[in-house]
Amino acid sequence: MHIPDGILPAAVCLGGYVTAGAATWYSLRKIGRKEDPREGIPKASLLTAAFFVASWIHIPVPPTSVHLVLNGLLGVVLGCYAFPAILIGLFFQAVMFQHGGLTTLGVNATIMGVPALLAYYLFQLRNIFGKDSRVGTGLFGFLAGAGGLGLAAVLACVVLITTIPAHVDVETERAGIYALTLAHVPLMVIEGIFTALVVLFLQRVKPALLEGNREISA
Amino acid sequence: MKGKLLATLLILFLSIPAAASAHGAKISYQITKAIEITATYDTGEPLSGGQVTIYAPDNPSTPWRKAKCDENGKYIFIPDPSKPGTWDVQVRQAGHGDMIHIPIGEGTAEAASGSTGYTPLQIVLMAACVVWGFVGTTLFFARRRGS
Repeated sequence: MHIPDGILPAAVCLGGYVTAGAATWYSLRKIGRKEDPREGIPKASLLTAAFFVASWIHIPVPPTSVHLVLNGLLGVVLGCYAFPAILIGLFFQAVMFQHGGLTTLGVNATIMGVPALLAYYLFQLRNIFGKDSRVGTGLFGFLAGAGGLGLAAVLACVVLITTIPAHVDVETERAGIYALTLAHVPLMVIEGIFTALVVLFLQRVKPALLEGNREISA
Repeated sequence: MKGKLLATLLILFLSIPAAASAHGAKISYQITKAIEITATYDTGEPLSGGQVTIYAPDNPSTPWRKAKCDENGKYIFIPDPSKPGTWDVQVRQAGHGDMIHIPIGEGTAEAASGSTGYTPLQIVLMAACVVWGFVGTTLFFARRRGS
C-alpha cells in the first residue's frame, strides 16, 4: 500500500503530486468555508497519530502480511480534514521510517486519501435510514471503512501493475501484486468492523463528532 | 596399401594420448570478496523470492545482473573488482522494495556490513516523538477553542 521510492517512474510520481495537490486544495477550500475551521483540528490531529502508528500493526494473511491503514475510518470521522491528515501522516511515515517515500508521497496520498473522501460521502448515505438509526450508522460505517480500504488497495494494484519496469520478471511481479491485493480482502472486513464499532461508539457518547461533518457537505 | 593402413593406425595410436589429455580437469581456487544481502520487511519477514537487480558503478542505468533472493531473502554476488565505486542493489517484490548502496573499493574494510533500517529502540523513540507532536497539536487547538 505504501509505495516506496525507486519503484515508480518519475512521471507517475509527478502525476501523484498533481492529484494530491488538487485533493488538498479541494479539502482546504472546504475547511476554509466552515464556520470555525479550527474546530476539527484536534480530532484530525489525534486521528493522524492513529493513522501514523496503525501501519505498525501487521496482520498475517498467508503467504504475506498486511498492515492496518484506517483511511476509511479517517474519511468517515474527519470528512474534509481526512486528506490533509493522511498527507501529513504519510509524510512522517516516509521521513521517519522510509515507509513509503518522499518521491511517492503524492501517489500514496492519492491512493489512500481519495478513497477516504469517497468513504466520507458514502457514510453520509446513512441518513436514508434516519439520523439516529444505529443500524444505518453501523452498516454504512462498515461499508465506508471496508470500501475506503478496498478502493485504496485496487488503486495501488493498478498503479503498480501498469508501471512494472522492464528489468524485472513481469510475470512474477504481477502475481505478487495480485496476491498482495487479494490479501487486503480480510483486512477490509477487519477495518470495516473497526470503523463500524468506532462510529457506533461515537454516536452513543458524542454524536456531535459525526454531526459536525454533516453540516460541511450541505 | 597395408603399409598405409598401418601408418594410419600408428598415427591414430600416437594421437590418442594427446586427445586423452584434453579430458584432464584442472581446478584452481581464489578466495575473493562476495557480498551477501538480506532483504526483509519491517516486520523481519524475509522477501523470499524477491527480485534482485544489481547496478555496477560504471553504469547506473542498465542492470549489471538480475537474480532472485532465496527463501530467506538472501542473495550472494561477487562484484567485479575492476569496477570500484558504489554498487546499487535493489530488491523488489510486489511493489515493495528498497535499494542499498554498497561502497566497494580499495579502502573497503574486509568485513563490512550496512543496513537501511533502524533498531527497534530508535523506531519506538521516533514514533513516540511524532505521536507526541500530534497530541500536542490536539491539546493546543482544543485549548484555543475553549478559551
